[in-house]
Formats: sequence, structure tokens, C-alpha cells
Amino acid sequence: MDDLEKAILISFDESGAVDSALKAQAVGYCRQIKETPSICSICIERLCFSKLVQVQFWCLQCLHEVLRVRYSSMGVEEKSFIRKSVFSLACYESIDDKNLVRVLDGPAFIKNKLAQVMVTLIYFEYPMIWPSVFVDFLSNLSKGVVVIDMFCRVLNALDEEVISLDYPRSQGEVAVAGQIKDAMRQQCISQVVRAWYDILLMYRNSDPDLCCSVLDSMRRYVSWIDIGLIANDAFVGLLFELMLVSGFPCQLRGAAAGSIHAVAAKRMDPKAKLTLLQSLQIKKVFGLVAEDNDIEFVSSVASLLTGYSTEVLECLKRLNSEDGKAVPTELLNEVLPSVFYVMQNCEIDETFSIVQFLSGYVGTLKSLAPLTETQSLHVGQILEVIRSQIRFDPAYRNNLDVLDKLGKEEEDRMTEFRKDLFVLLRSVGRVAPDATQIFIRNSLASAVASNVDVDVEEIEAALSLLYAFGESLSDETMKTGNGLLGELIPKLLSTKFPCHNNRLVALIYLETVTRYMKFFQENTEYIPLVLSAFLDERGIHHPNSNVSRRASYLFMRIVKLLKAKLVPYIETILQSLQDTVAQFTTIYAASKELSGCEDGSHIFEAIGLLIGMEDVPLEKQSEYLTALLTPLCQQVEAMLLNAKTQNPEESPEKIRNIQQIIMAINALSKGFSERLVTASRPAIGLMFKQTLDVLLRILIIYPKLEPLRCKVTSFIHRMVDILGSSVFPYLPKALEQLLAESEPKELAGFLLLLNQLICKFNTGVGDILEEVYPAIASRVFNILPRDAFPTGPGSNTEEIRELQELQRTFYTFLHVIATHDLSSVFLASKSRAYLDPMMQLILHASCNHKDILVRKACVQIFVRLIKDWCASPYGEEKVPGFRSFVVEAFATNCCLYSVLDKSFEFRDANTLVLFGEIVLAQKVMFEKFGNDFLVHFVSKSFQSAHCPQDLAEQYCQKLQGNDIKALKSFYQSLIENLRRQQNGSLVFR
Amino acid sequence: MEKLRNRTTITQFQAQDTLHITDKQFRHERELAEAAIQHERELAALPNQQTVDYPSFKLVIVGDGGTGKTTFVKRHLTGEFEKKYEPTIGVEVHPLDFFTNCGKIRFYCWDTAGQEKFGGLRDGYYIHGQCAIIMFYVTARLTYKNVPTWHRDLCRVCENIPIVLCGNKVDVKNRQVKAKQVTFHRKKNLQYYEISAKSNYNFEKPFLYLARKLAGDGNLHFVESPALAPPEVQIDLTAQAQHERELAEAAIQPLPDDDDEVFE
Repeated sequence: MDDLEKAILISFDESGAVDSALKAQAVGYCRQIKETPSICSICIERLCFSKLVQVQFWCLQCLHEVLRVRYSSMGVEEKSFIRKSVFSLACYESIDDKNLVRVLDGPAFIKNKLAQVMVTLIYFEYPMIWPSVFVDFLSNLSKGVVVIDMFCRVLNALDEEVISLDYPRSQGEVAVAGQIKDAMRQQCISQVVRAWYDILLMYRNSDPDLCCSVLDSMRRYVSWIDIGLIANDAFVGLLFELMLVSGFPCQLRGAAAGSIHAVAAKRMDPKAKLTLLQSLQIKKVFGLVAEDNDIEFVSSVASLLTGYSTEVLECLKRLNSEDGKAVPTELLNEVLPSVFYVMQNCEIDETFSIVQFLSGYVGTLKSLAPLTETQSLHVGQILEVIRSQIRFDPAYRNNLDVLDKLGKEEEDRMTEFRKDLFVLLRSVGRVAPDATQIFIRNSLASAVASNVDVDVEEIEAALSLLYAFGESLSDETMKTGNGLLGELIPKLLSTKFPCHNNRLVALIYLETVTRYMKFFQENTEYIPLVLSAFLDERGIHHPNSNVSRRASYLFMRIVKLLKAKLVPYIETILQSLQDTVAQFTTIYAASKELSGCEDGSHIFEAIGLLIGMEDVPLEKQSEYLTALLTPLCQQVEAMLLNAKTQNPEESPEKIRNIQQIIMAINALSKGFSERLVTASRPAIGLMFKQTLDVLLRILIIYPKLEPLRCKVTSFIHRMVDILGSSVFPYLPKALEQLLAESEPKELAGFLLLLNQLICKFNTGVGDILEEVYPAIASRVFNILPRDAFPTGPGSNTEEIRELQELQRTFYTFLHVIATHDLSSVFLASKSRAYLDPMMQLILHASCNHKDILVRKACVQIFVRLIKDWCASPYGEEKVPGFRSFVVEAFATNCCLYSVLDKSFEFRDANTLVLFGEIVLAQKVMFEKFGNDFLVHFVSKSFQSAHCPQDLAEQYCQKLQGNDIKALKSFYQSLIENLRRQQNGSLVFR
Repeated sequence: MEKLRNRTTITQFQAQDTLHITDKQFRHERELAEAAIQHERELAALPNQQTVDYPSFKLVIVGDGGTGKTTFVKRHLTGEFEKKYEPTIGVEVHPLDFFTNCGKIRFYCWDTAGQEKFGGLRDGYYIHGQCAIIMFYVTARLTYKNVPTWHRDLCRVCENIPIVLCGNKVDVKNRQVKAKQVTFHRKKNLQYYEISAKSNYNFEKPFLYLARKLAGDGNLHFVESPALAPPEVQIDLTAQAQHERELAEAAIQPLPDDDDEVFE
């Protein structure tokens, strides 16, 4: 063993047994050798003598690398030497007499590596420098299996490394691949195909592995060679023989199926393709899937069948004449039963492509109506396939019911899996609506009838079909209950399944009833049935809390749609919900885990929707509302009373309980309109005001509890909505409480509340706003950082996100104030101190904020303030210093410099809108300040940006004109002009 | 009486079942052992890491740089503890142990981190690999585009080994490669899993699949979970799945006739 061999062995050693210094030395040595000019001959020499696979591998890897990197700089002789040597190795020849080792005797990965080197040479040298490579190789095949095997490896490697489109390749590489294919087609491909045929014929019994390798090459090459070479009686006959004769090993049979698949998938003109497909005699294959064959083989046959069917369908779509369609229709009718068989009986991973094919098939049926008998039969079978595929495995029944980890996984998997199948179902439903409805009815009927042997999965599947089918129905069909629906839905409503306590069954049942709720709008006689489906133990009273919560939500949706029709039932509904309502606000319920939006409060929303209707007489209405509100308020009052005497550290259950109560009242109030509460029935309004009184006290007793503050805030939002201006007396106190010691997140929430107030009442809240603004401004300027937010790693923390959110909300708040005629708030004596920081903040944001929408809002604020505070060009200054600030700072920095910056992207739609606002601002400044503005903006600012005189003059003209559009496009061209001139570098900034 | 009889039958059935399993288990233990012996033989040709007295397999992890290969193997704590580090070459071999119903097995995970483009032995590391994981990031389309190339380079050196394709980082919201767009595994008969190395989501799945393939036993399962590093991100993946489902549903549904959907 020489030094290089030793070094290679050491560098391959990952056992940890080698000293790291020694290893580093070995690696360094190998690297050094790689740099020597004679590296190629060193490698070739080693390949002739060394038996060590590591050495062989390293040498081949090295050759490959050197060829790729240095080929163009190699001498003619060196290239010729490499070519000859590598070819000798690949043909199992001795390079000279002393040559003891042959690479082809080594393991597969060494031969593959050699093939890679060969292909690299072919890439650079075929057909120009080494035109005879394939022909020479072919003449060596007579040497036997070893060389034939190598030949296949080279062809396969050529496909993978150069030709196949499955790998990302550069344009240059694609061009080279094209040249190689052209040359091969012209020169040698028929010989190659002939060789394939001979090899298969000769070795089919003795060497199946070799034959598989040949078939693999063929499968890869079919797409770009003359199809006639393969699609002839002799070759196709041989392929079918290999696939059909059960004496051959499964692997070989599968490979033959793969080759036939490739032939069928060849891209061709549809007429020629159809002739080809017809000649393939696919019938002979059908039996294979039914026999007890190896699963891998069945899988290959299944994908052949699917592939074949897809191709026939493609012909059917592309051939338009009546005659042209006859043959593909016939072929499809022939092959479809086998496809259905595969889908239902073989556990293989072909489902995806089969469903795709079936969707395509159903798609073509749309244009063929009315369906023939055979086609109707197919439709029935497709429905059958869908039903069998969407069934859960009973093995998971328990997991799915308790929804453990396995159950969740299975449910997710099934949801994903069902998507395509349901799309298919709906297309079938459109093509054959009657057949689909009959099928669903029968499925449901047989599921209902099967109470002897309760089959949860079958019932679930039948209901899921009905549910999924409903998605494609029009409103009209739903309402009238066309077809069988009028029979199906009542049947569904009156059914209680023996397995109704199963989570999945109960859920899909409720979802399905909800999906068809429009039917009850017209068919009100079924309303009692709907109500009991939701109110009894199938729905809200289901033992599983997941089901009952979902039922609450779905019930609320039903109520929303049908409420006008539900008036006579209100009493019944309230009675049967009494226990649920009471339960929701107990400590016990609060301690349970709440899952997002399905917290159960929807039941209160449903009740609110029902009792809030004007159709309910006032006495009844106040009776119902009192019955609900009084106990809840009393509960809160009791807790507040105790809180004073007790430990200030309140138990989390108790806090959650209060939260629940607020949520309940909140949801309840959603059913009441402002008109009813303030105008027609003020007594109801009074009840809500009393409630507000109670709930506001929470803020006093628990001033620092964020979750409670948050809930009370949303309640105030609601009350603003329904109580209108009568909410005013409550506001000063409430706002003061909410503002005190608020954290950034709460402060942002608080600003949202003010925004709501301003948007609803405009100047009506001027006094209140004037009162709170100084405190808000002081808090915000204290909390927000003076400089920009940090960026880069570590800056993406929750705290910083909250601050950014607060900043954003504050800009909106300022914008809302300015645009609702409330700018005087900024000038009130107590607010005056914050005017300057506020102006600096919006100036900075209008120029630099990374969110373009924030910048736009800030520019709009400026425009409003200019209009509000500057009367006329030479009028008295309402706000001393404002005019010069605007002209000097805002105009220059925002209207010119920020726009000049290359990051201001005119192709971005939002930025373009911002630009429009900036141009508008200039127009307004000119109107208000006249020449003052021009002098400063044009003479000073433009000049500092080196604006040519003529452009500046044109600008002045456009500014004085009336066409704001023309001004905008001119200003854009001016900016682009200046940018070009400065080549992007802004010297003045 | 009737009930009692029923119960007897069930017990009998269970007894048979147990026997059956034991027999099967025995067979699989033998198969595992044989596979391991085969491995030892191969190792003799190429000296490798020290061996253990239970079946062990060389697992190669490939994929573009920065797709989370290292983070992934490091989730397994015992492996992290025992791993050997070769800073000069830059391949890390992590021995990861798993406990199956057929006994303990070990994967030597060859993590070729950082060595994709230069230096090292590149595909030399794959030699005698018995199974593999190809990793890409669902947030970076390019890493998925390169999957075929990784697969090709792997198969050149390791013919016919079981391979798992892993889409990593499904814990993030801005996916670039949607689950539907991942089709490569179908063409090449690979198993595909979506994982999140950071949240341990589906950590065991690739190993389980490979163990089943290597043992030739589709029912092999892990009897205890390996100790994993605590998740760095807590993402409610079910919620996310639900979210995506709703989005998908929303996309195909007709527009709601009221504002109700907004609150859902």
C-alpha cells in the first residue's frame, strides 16, 4: 500500500479510531495530490491496480471532478489517454499486461461511479470528438453480462445526468442534451434498440436483473426515440410475454409493465396515439390484478392501467368527430372495470392518480349527456369506489372517538385524503344528480338499517357523502328540496343512530343538518325536528363536550338564518337550554379547557338573536332578558363583594368564571339592535346600562388583570354599538380605569375603543377625547422607543411586536382624529406639550416607516392639519411655527427626499397610492402657502437635488394648473429624472 | 352463561393471538439480526464505527445546506450525547437508538452538514448506506427543486435502499412548497413526511418507516419514545391543519350569505 492509498483509507475512516491529527494530515495529502498536473494518470493507474474500494471510489470521484472543472484546459493527448483508459475500464479490458484489477468486478457503486465518468466524457465529446462511443460499446456487448450491465448503467446515467428533465439544468446543459439526442437518433439508436431486444431474448430466463436494467433504460428513452422501434409486433410481443408469463420473476414482470406504460405515455398526435393504444391489447393485462401476485408487481400493473386509461381519455378529449370518439369510448369501457377493481381491492399507492383520472373521465361525461347505460354503470361504480375509500378503519374507532394522538392523526389524514374524493363526488353529482341522490339515499338507508351490527364507519361515510354532496347544490335546489332531497332531509332529521354517541357520527350529523338549513326556510313544518336534533342529546346535550360546543355554534347559525320562523318556539328553546346556560357560567365550566372560538358562548348569541327580535312583545322580551341578565349580574356582584374582603391574589378559576360571564352577556347582546334598545324599547336599553354599571365595577376591583380588562373592553365596544350616545355618561370613568397602568397591548386595545367612538360619533366625543388625549400621548411617548425598532436576530420578540402593534394603532388613532374634524384636540392647552413630539413622530413615519400604508396615513394627517390650521396664504398663523415646519421639514423630507430614494418603488401599487397623497400634499401646500411654498420647495429643495431649471419651471406650471393627474405623472418623471442623474446616490442626505 | 362463554372465546382468541405475535416477533428478530450481520460483513470491507450487540444500520441524511438536517438528528438526546464530531471533515455520525417491539435498534445517522458544495468526501460518505433521508425546507422552493439531484447522487452509490423524503419546517405559516406540490416521492416510490425539527413534529415517523422497511415487517412499532429535546417552538399543528382545511373549504364554498363566516 502506498502513501496515497493509506491516506485515502484514513480519510474514509469514520470509526473514530483514527487520531484526528493523522486524519487531518491524510485529508491534506489527498487534497494535495488532487492538485498535481498528472492527477488523471495517477487515478487511472490506481484503478488498474488497487483492489481497495475506497481507493477506486476516490479515483473515480477525482477523475469526474477534474474532467468537470478542467476539461477545456486539458491537452489533446491527455484527453485521448483518459478517453481510451476509461473506455477500456468500461469494456472490461486490460489497459496493459500488468493490469491486475478490473473495475467491473467491483461493487455496484463503483460501476455507477465509472458510468458517471463515462457520461461526463460523452457530455464533452459526443458526437464531435468521440462519435463512435456508442457504436464501439455495442460491439463490445458480445463479451457478456458484465459489459452489457455496464452499458445499461452508462445509458441510465446518461439519462439522469444529462437528458432527463426531472433535474434542474442550465440552458447550456439542455442544449448539449439536445445535440446528444439528435446525434443518437441519427446514428445509433436503432442499433441500441436492437441490442435491447437481443439481450432480453437471450437473457430473459438466465439473468432477470440484467433484463430489468435493460427495461429501465428503455423506459427512460422511449419518450424521445422513434416509437416505431419499440411499438412493433416483435418488441411489444416480447414485452407482453415478459409481463404475462407467471414463470418470470415479479421484478422483471413489473419492469416490463413499466416499459409498456412508457410506450403508452409517449407524446403523439391523438390519431396515431389511438392506433398505438389499440395495438397494445391491454385486455390481456386485466387478469393480472385479480391474481394473487406480488404487491410491487400489482402496483406496476395498476399504474400501467391508470396510465393507459388516462391516455385513452386524452384521445377522447382531443378527437372531436363522432367517429373519432367511438374507439376511445370503447377502449375506456373495456379498461374501466379493471381500474375500479384495482381501486377497491388492491392496497397500493395508486389512489391519487386513479382519482385524478376518474375526475377527468367524469368531466368528459358532462358533454356527453344523456349517459349511455354503460356510462351510468360507471358512474355507479365511481360512487361505490368513493364510499369505500372514505370509510375510516374500524381499528381506529376508539382513538377517533376520544381523539387521542393516533385519532387526531387519522382524522387529519382522512380529511386530506377525502378532499379529492369529494371533488370527484361533486362532479359526479353534477353529471348524474339523480343517480347520486339515489346512491346517497340507499347508503343512508342501509346504514340506518344496520342496527343489528352497528357500523359506525358506514354511517359516518354515508353522512359524509350527503354533507359533501350538499356543497355543490344551488340555493334554489336546497330551498325547494328538489329531487330526493325532500325525502332525504326529513329522514335524516327523524333519525337517531344507535351509535349517535360516537363523536364523529354526532358531528357529521349536525354539520349535515346545518348544511341543508336553507331547506327549512321553505319547509317550516320540519322546524320542530331541526330544533330537537340540536337540543336533545344529539346536539347541545351530547355527552361529548366537543360535540355539544360545536352544536352550540351550529345552532347559532341555524337561528341566525331561521330566527323569524322561530318566534313560536322561543319558550321551548329557552326551557331546554336552561341547564346549558346555567352550566356555562359555573366555576366548574370555567375550569375546563376552552378551545378558541368554540368556547360555548354561541349558545348565548343564539338566545340573544331569538329574544332580541322586535317580533317578541316587550313584556316577554324584558322577562327573558331579566331572567338571563339578573343572575349573571348577581353572580358578578357577589364575587366583587367577596373580592374586597379576600386575598388580592384571586384564584384563576374565579377570574375565568368572570370572563365567562362577560363573554356570555356580550354574546347575548349581539341579538339586540341599536334602534330597538334606544328608540323603540328604552326599557331594554336600561337593562343593558345597568349591566354595564356592574361590569365596569370589575375594573375598579381588579384594576390590573389583563384578561378581565380585555373582556370588559370588548363589552364596552358592544355597548357603544347598541346604546349609542347614551353610553357617554359611562365613558369618562371607564376610560380612566382602562388607561391607568396599561401595558402596550392593552393600550393598543384602548386606542381601538377610542377609534370606534370617534368613527361612530365624530365630534360628539370631542370633549371626552380632549380629556383623555394628554394622558394617552404621555403614555405612548413614554413607551415607544425614540429610534427605529431594532432589526436582525433576537429582535423578533413578543415585547417588540407588541410595541410595533401599539405604534401602528397610534398612527391609526391620530389619523382617525385628524380625519374626523377633531384636530383641535391636539391644540387644547393640556395637549399642547405633546404637539411637537407628535409632529416629529408623524414626520419621521411619513418619510421612513417600512409599512407604506402607515406612511400614507401620516401624509394624509399632514394634509388635514394643513387644511385645518392654515387659513390662507397670508392669513394669521393659528399654530405658530406649524407653517414653517411643514414647508421646511415635511415638504423637503417627505415630498422630495423620501421619494427620491431608490427604495421608493413606483411599480408597487401601495407606493403609487402613497405617491398620489404626497403630490396632493404639495397641491394643498401651494394653495395654502402660495409663493412661500414655491420659494422653499423649488428654489431650495429642488436645487439641492440638482434639479435642472427647465424641469423646476415646468413643475411650477403644473402645480398651478388644475390637472392633478398631470401633476402626478409629471412629478414622477421628474423624480425618475433626478434619480438617473444622481445615479442613485443621494449626496445631500 | 351466554356472556361467560363469550368471554372464554375471547380469552382463547387472545392467547392464540399472543402466540402468533411471538412467533412473528421471533421471525422478525431473526430478520433484523440477519440484516445486521449483512451490515457487519459490509463494514468489514469498509471499516466503520464501533459496533453494538444489537442491529444497527447506516442512515445517510442529505439535502441542501441549512434545511435542518443537523437540528433534526440532534432532537434525539441520547444520540446527541454520544455523537462523534469530526471537525476536519465535517461529517457527524450520530448513533440514535430506538426501542422496537422486536428489540433495540440503532441508526448511525451520517449527517453531512455543510459539506454539500465543497471539500469532504461528498458522495463518498454514502458508501454502504442502508437507508436515507432527503431533507428540504417547505419555506424554500429551491431546496425542493434540488431533491431529485440529491436522490440521484444517493442512488448512484446506494442502489435500492429505502428512502424517506422529509419536508421540514411545517411549523411556519409562509410555506412556499405546499403539501400538494410535493410529488417527487410518488415518481420514485419514496415515503414522504412533513416534519418540524424544531417542534419534534413527526420526529419518529421517518425512523419508523425505515426500521419497518429494513426489518421487512410492516407492523413493527416503537415501544417507547426516545428522549427528545423539548420543542423550541410550540405550534399547534392540529390547529394549523384545521386552519388550512377551513381555508381550503372556504375557497370552494360559495360566498356566505351573512357575515357569520367572518367570526368562525
